[in-house]
Amino acid sequence: MADFEPKIVAFLCNWCAYAGADLAGVSRLQYPSNIRPIRVMCSGRVDPLFIVKAFKEGCDGVLVAG
Amino acid sequence: MTQKLLDITGIGKDRLHLAWVSSAEAQRFVDVVTQTTATVKGLGKFDPQEFASALSAAEMTLGGEALRWLVGKEVKLTTSGDVYGRKWDTERYESVLDAMLEREYYKNLIYQAVKEGCTSVRDICTRVGLELKKVSYLLADLEKTNQIEFKCMEDRKPVFAAL
Repeated sequence: MADFEPKIVAFLCNWCAYAGADLAGVSRLQYPSNIRPIRVMCSGRVDPLFIVKAFKEGCDGVLVAG
Repeated sequence: MTQKLLDITGIGKDRLHLAWVSSAEAQRFVDVVTQTTATVKGLGKFDPQEFASALSAAEMTLGGEALRWLVGKEVKLTTSGDVYGRKWDTERYESVLDAMLEREYYKNLIYQAVKEGCTSVRDICTRVGLELKKVSYLLADLEKTNQIEFKCMEDRKPVFAAL
């Protein structure tokens, strides 16, 4: 499958990665549109169960960024 | 730990990426996302149906009391010591955690198998892919914690049921 576009759930820390993503947008940097960001107040908030849940719901990958 | 568990389940740890990006590092964020996307793309589509029982077992394992206790005690065990005052080194802690992770996972996988209708020990073995002896041990454990009960004998084979 050459044109396979994965769905990636991204848990982004409000203060670090989310702001980084925001800055990437503001500075018009190109990045793949496969990620579905979920903003959390801290990456420590991400429970391993969230990750399993994400896979159960059918996403192809999970990214946790803090 | 979750990555290790994903490896045990057969989903593979490459589907879960962890990265630290600060708010000033837009370029790094772009790199991380690009790399993650490329890796997951290379792995292909994920089918949750295929891993349904593995995912349920993983969910039970990660939500279970035993592992949460152990993870919560990490700092205490490695810095101030256990109830006997023995300090654990990180390797020892890791190996205990790994062993427990695997054991809990297989226990929950057996539980799922029984729930889905594999009632004899041999059925469970072929379903879970473990040897007979190990499955028997874990079944005994599950009986102790009242998750599984011994129901009856069916032509000289024990039949189990999930509670």
